[in-house]
Amino acid sequence: MALSEFLASLDNLAEQARAAFASADSSESLEAARIDYLGAKSGQVRKVQQGLGKVDKADKPTAGKRFNEVKNLIEAALAEATQQIGTGNEEITEPFDVTLPGRPTRVGHLHPITQTIREMKDIMGRLGFTAVEGPEIEDDWHNFEALNIPLSHPARDPLDNFYLATAEKLEKPLLLRSQTSTVQIRVMENTPPPVRIISLGRVYRPDTADATHYPMFHQIEGLLIDRGVTMADLKSVLRLFCQSYFGGEDKVHVRFRPSFFPFTEPSVEVDMNWQGGWMEMGGAGMVDPNVLRAVGYDPEEVTGFAFGLGVERICMRQHGITDIRALYQNDVRFLEQF
Amino acid sequence: MIVSQNWLKEYVDLPMSVDELTERLTLTGLNLEGVENVDDDVAIDLEVTSNRPDCLGHLGVAREISVLWQLDLKKPAPKPTAAGPSVDSLTSVTVDSPELCPRYTARLIRGVKIGPSPAWLADRLRSLGIAVINNVVDISNFVMMECGQPLHTFDFAKIAGQKIVVRKSKPGEKFTAINHQEYELEPGTCVIADAERAVALAGVMGGADTEVSDHTTDILVEAADFAPLSVRNTARRHNLPSPSSYRFERGVDPEAIDWASRRCCELILQLAGGELAANVIDVAEPAEARPTIKLRFTELPRVLGIEIPSDTVQKILTDLGCAETHICDHCIKVTPPSWRADLTREIDLIEEVARIHGYEQIPEDTGVKMVASTRSREDRVLEQTRAMLTATGFDEAMTISAIDRSWVDLFRPWSEADPLVTSTPVLRRANCLRQTLVPSLLSARRTNETLSNPIIELFEIADIYLPQAGELPDQRRMLGLSSGSGFLELKGVIEALVAAIAPDAQLTAIEYSAQLFTAKRGAELSLAGRKLGFLGEVSTWGLKQFDLRDNTTVAEIDLGVLVDAAIEIRKVVPLSPYPPVGRDLNVVVDEKVCWADVERLVRTGCESLLENIAFQEVYRDDERLGKGKKSLLFSIQLRSAEQTLTNEQADEVRDNIIAALAKELGGQLRA
Repeated sequence: MALSEFLASLDNLAEQARAAFASADSSESLEAARIDYLGAKSGQVRKVQQGLGKVDKADKPTAGKRFNEVKNLIEAALAEATQQIGTGNEEITEPFDVTLPGRPTRVGHLHPITQTIREMKDIMGRLGFTAVEGPEIEDDWHNFEALNIPLSHPARDPLDNFYLATAEKLEKPLLLRSQTSTVQIRVMENTPPPVRIISLGRVYRPDTADATHYPMFHQIEGLLIDRGVTMADLKSVLRLFCQSYFGGEDKVHVRFRPSFFPFTEPSVEVDMNWQGGWMEMGGAGMVDPNVLRAVGYDPEEVTGFAFGLGVERICMRQHGITDIRALYQNDVRFLEQF
Repeated sequence: MIVSQNWLKEYVDLPMSVDELTERLTLTGLNLEGVENVDDDVAIDLEVTSNRPDCLGHLGVAREISVLWQLDLKKPAPKPTAAGPSVDSLTSVTVDSPELCPRYTARLIRGVKIGPSPAWLADRLRSLGIAVINNVVDISNFVMMECGQPLHTFDFAKIAGQKIVVRKSKPGEKFTAINHQEYELEPGTCVIADAERAVALAGVMGGADTEVSDHTTDILVEAADFAPLSVRNTARRHNLPSPSSYRFERGVDPEAIDWASRRCCELILQLAGGELAANVIDVAEPAEARPTIKLRFTELPRVLGIEIPSDTVQKILTDLGCAETHICDHCIKVTPPSWRADLTREIDLIEEVARIHGYEQIPEDTGVKMVASTRSREDRVLEQTRAMLTATGFDEAMTISAIDRSWVDLFRPWSEADPLVTSTPVLRRANCLRQTLVPSLLSARRTNETLSNPIIELFEIADIYLPQAGELPDQRRMLGLSSGSGFLELKGVIEALVAAIAPDAQLTAIEYSAQLFTAKRGAELSLAGRKLGFLGEVSTWGLKQFDLRDNTTVAEIDLGVLVDAAIEIRKVVPLSPYPPVGRDLNVVVDEKVCWADVERLVRTGCESLLENIAFQEVYRDDERLGKGKKSLLFSIQLRSAEQTLTNEQADEVRDNIIAALAKELGGQLRA
């Protein structure tokens, strides 16, 4: 037999065997194909091997080498087909239950207040507001005077604030800040306009702790001071914020209701449309000219708006938390839900 | 402020439904709190902001309605008929403290007959939820709810010396209010007195002695103005808030005082009879002239972002009761009405125009200028810290900033100074501003233990407050940790955190003893030579302070130090293409030799070839190693950036290390 003939029959065999193994769709048909090609007594490989004897003596080493290669190829094809068909030899594999739970990896959870603040900061950041923080212990000037809250104002009553007790009477009494507007004053005192910030953090008011009150809570306040800032800009920024925070697919609108805050004029309460009604978001307004003057700005040159949102209220509403005290109890079972 | 629908109709037509009425009022400044049907009347509860005391009476609310719906306001014009001698021949008024009482008026009616109020008057008060008492008292309440001016009626026969003195209380002075409780007055309280004693707390509450009773025949009618701050302090200090003090605190209409007095007298004459003495006693400080305010029309778009026609502006302001003194193309000048003391500046007028014109006119889709915002370095580090800690299995806690005094001395790593103290506790007995987060976290741990929560891994990021003389306190942001694992586990978390945020900074630990920490298992941590924080296993004593059952390790990190050391933008180091070579070492040293010293010598010895040093374990065996000895097992991985290291080179490095360890620390390679 010519060498070329023998080699062609080898190639032919390899091709057929591979096709036969690949087309087997069960372990039975694969076994049949195995016997057909690799059967020890009368498999086709065996038969071709017998043909090896008829090859010219000089060509035998080449033919033998090629035969071994093809045999290996066919065996590899069988192994691959066996694996694919899933006829793993069950007798020698350990039992395994894939429905067992995975090895636990403990992952911690961020406090819901942190998550709320982060979302608010992200949105306001996209709207061009930079987050700032400031001292929680403040003086009268930053917490009241500069915010147009004179000594006669009820908000300054000692019973409505956490003043610090000191042995000697201080020229500037200190207190736990009752609002984060104090930070806005500090920024404005140190920065010429334009100013575009949100201030956030803990604030304190002497409320008895109950389901809706806690003496410590968080505020986030926005401030934009520049030439030509109007109440329409305020409404637009708040609408964009609400749209991003709550809107999803629904179109969000905001409305203003007149209100009164010493540091803004006009002052408004902000509502957004929510499930067919209006949901209270917080207070806002145009920065009072007295405040602008107190920090050395010229109200004839610049205008500005400010708004404040209660973080707890928004967080509680979004997550269905009905008791504010749950936020500060730190029950791990509560924290792990967020 | 509860208003009655029927009552409002006396001053203004109400052709609209209650829903329409309250919706519009809500959007123009009188927020709806609730609506309730009372018999055939509707009680409407409106929230009145503190700058609008003019709406603390039905007339004021009716005035708002008349402006909004362009309806006529029908205001009564009381003209009580006087007879008999002039009032100043019968009584006198002396105001000793005009700063507390800018105006005091008195009228006198003699020969009244006290009896029940007629049904219409009783109904008015009932709609508002006010107790019906007798005709004279009911009338004074009616007039207050009509115009917002509080009145007081005295039984004139009980006024000693037939004289009224407005003065400050004397030290130790006592007073029995109409609630029949006796109060020892704070010195300086503004009182209405007769010749002998205080008969009323000015603007707050009348006295029991001079109260109008069934036997009263002669009535002195007080209509006055008292200083808001003084009234507020009196009401607060004696815990006697009243509808009267509520109104004086916010300020009354100085020009309505006499109207209210006449209205009250007219109704008393009508319903209780009697004879009104001629004239009025009116002791008044000269009233401050009301300002004339200029509103430039260009300011409206500058503040509101919308144009409002000047004739609309003019109409709104005059409808609200402002007197126009000038108008031209550029501006309008007005004098606000006496009942609107809140209007003093141009911006106040802008707000009035805006709210009546309607905030719905302001668009919500202007093109707000786009600017880039920045995130602070601290913000980024905090974000990274939170991500690291949740990834390592810690839940974020949030605890209150003040602590109980008894916790202050349990752990004082940052300051020995007395803590700042609030005048009233922030929560329960917590009045000390904390100087460490650790006690708060241990307390949160205790909460979780009592709830049988099996795994308690907590962190908190919050501030501590370290007092500084003459300045605001040093407020530092801390990371507190409390874990159920041990010292080395928690140290591993801190090392991972530092490696993630400040990879180039060296973290070192030295032993730190504190009563809160188990002996030998507390450390002070430093980062690049600065104090970073503390770490330790809580001692039995410490666990007992917080009633804790299970062991815990705590740590506190000064995040300011971490932020300073943070590397925000990483630069890559070129990677060596050559393979690493490893060597294991087992060195026997004295017990007192610490790992940090060994590591330092290894690092020096390997120079730039050291890629990694990994501590394996410490082994002690008195027999094999000898007493007071320990063996340290560790491995080093070496790699050169320039060539493949040969075994001989690696052995040479190892031998150098061993030599250095022997020389510096007396270490011996263990056979």
